[in-house]
Amino acid sequence: MFLCSKGVFAALTLAFAAALAAQETSLDVSKSVQIDLPPDAPLNLTSMTMGDSRATSRGGAIVLDLHMGLTLRNSGARHIRGVTLLITAQEFAPGGKGSVTRPSIDIPPGENFTLPVDIRLVRPVRETAGPMVRVRLDGVLFDDLSFYGPNKLDSQRALTFWEAEAQRDRAYFKQTLQAKGQTGLQSAMLASIAKGPERGQVNVALSRNGRAVGSVVPVTEHAEKFAALRLPDAPVETEEGWAAISGNEARSPQIEVLNRSGKAVRYVEIGWLVKDKEGNQFVAGTVPASDSAMVLPAGQRARLQQDTVLRFSRSGRPIEIESMTAYVSQVEFADGHVWVPSRQDLDSSPLLRVTAPSPEEQRLTEIYQRKGLAALVADLNRY
Amino acid sequence: MNHPREHDLALLAGGEAGPLRRLLLDRHVRNCAPCQEKIAAYCDLREDLGEIELPGSNWNEVNWNFLAADMRANIRLGLEAGACVRTARTPWRWKAPRLWKNPRPAIAFACVLIVTAAGELLRENKLRSPAVADSTPVLVTTDSGVEFRTGANSLTLLKHHGDVANQTVSARGDISERYIDDTGAVTINDVSLQ
Repeated sequence: MFLCSKGVFAALTLAFAAALAAQETSLDVSKSVQIDLPPDAPLNLTSMTMGDSRATSRGGAIVLDLHMGLTLRNSGARHIRGVTLLITAQEFAPGGKGSVTRPSIDIPPGENFTLPVDIRLVRPVRETAGPMVRVRLDGVLFDDLSFYGPNKLDSQRALTFWEAEAQRDRAYFKQTLQAKGQTGLQSAMLASIAKGPERGQVNVALSRNGRAVGSVVPVTEHAEKFAALRLPDAPVETEEGWAAISGNEARSPQIEVLNRSGKAVRYVEIGWLVKDKEGNQFVAGTVPASDSAMVLPAGQRARLQQDTVLRFSRSGRPIEIESMTAYVSQVEFADGHVWVPSRQDLDSSPLLRVTAPSPEEQRLTEIYQRKGLAALVADLNRY
Repeated sequence: MNHPREHDLALLAGGEAGPLRRLLLDRHVRNCAPCQEKIAAYCDLREDLGEIELPGSNWNEVNWNFLAADMRANIRLGLEAGACVRTARTPWRWKAPRLWKNPRPAIAFACVLIVTAAGELLRENKLRSPAVADSTPVLVTTDSGVEFRTGANSLTLLKHHGDVANQTVSARGDISERYIDDTGAVTINDVSLQ
């Protein structure tokens, strides 16, 4: 018995060691990535670093860890305000794609900037030809709000909204500086930083609403109505809406909206706030227009609905949904102009204290925290 | 037949045995004539000792043998109790299991772990709705970043370790995470189901 056990144990140890050795088979990282920029793009790739990127074969899977730094030059004639790169690995993650965006920038012609791209791919080992990841340019937004790029991810709209928020927040902090001086600006920065902990962080799992035919609907599922939070200046308002709720799961949200402006609207996005059983409020997400070709004439109604399932948790524990609130967070008119809530709108309701700051506000508070008030004032005076 | 030890019988006779020991001794003594005799002798001795007048009594009449036996029994009992206390107070030290000699406990423990883990996995699968079956594409936010999973494949856009991230979930089917990089610039990673 003793000899038998010892023999088995030794064999297991050898097998384990062999498995460990097999795990660290290194692959050629440089051949794993392909970067495509159109020849007429207003951006040139000047250099690329791979950092501690590596590709390893572990058991039956390949793990590709990419930590790239892409240095791009503005080769156009206008200042660049935002850039989006499209990341695809369709062959290995069918249906999934990603993007890396740098908003809130001001890159003059001829200047360089570096964009970090950090990706991890896991897929079963099999023979493949060509790169595992492709990086392409999806869009560039300029300071006059003109756009260049294939726009496959609708990045023109996203970059334009971020730029509108950036202009709003820069104007707010500049006005604060002019009206209340550096002390007032400092107070505004501290108030913005203090909001951070109130926002909290929620983990979300999102999937298509693919409930199998014949599957049982949970007995706890019920249609929960959205409470409408009306912003005084919003050109569109929420009327009624609901989502199927079961525990920590929200399914198929749909919201009816009314265009009360005098102009046709082609895109609306609704902010979605959730309160849990303990009374904590958090931003669950957004419900955008379902039809990308939507045109909502003045005075007309439309229904926004998405067939997805969201599950919320915090620190691994499900968050039980108690109630929901909806407010209009973005509107794009047919003429291309966009509307975002004003600072007064955002301050009008304590509910909106949990919404995330704009990328520009986040960047400005970072300058204040890292470099101090003088650096912040210098940045605000830059443009 | 194994008889109880002398000092146990002495303690039983004096009503000083513990409840469990008394139960065991009673059971034996009920069917054992020699032990019954000894118990009776111990009882007589106790009565005799109770009648001793100290000082000035006649010490020559004392049954010293029985008295010595009783004392020895009590001393031994005290020593045993002391040994128990010393053992309990010894600092605990971890000893490597002797797997080579007896791997059974380790194997049994490993089996329990496997069964428990399998149970948890099965429970997890049972609780999850069909919408999130393993082959169903799903987006999740993790400590590393935003991850797209489908079957054995996954694509994760990583955020820099330790950076503060704000996330935005769109019911259309994408999750974006925003963080500040080393240069102080904002980077937004977005992963989509489409």
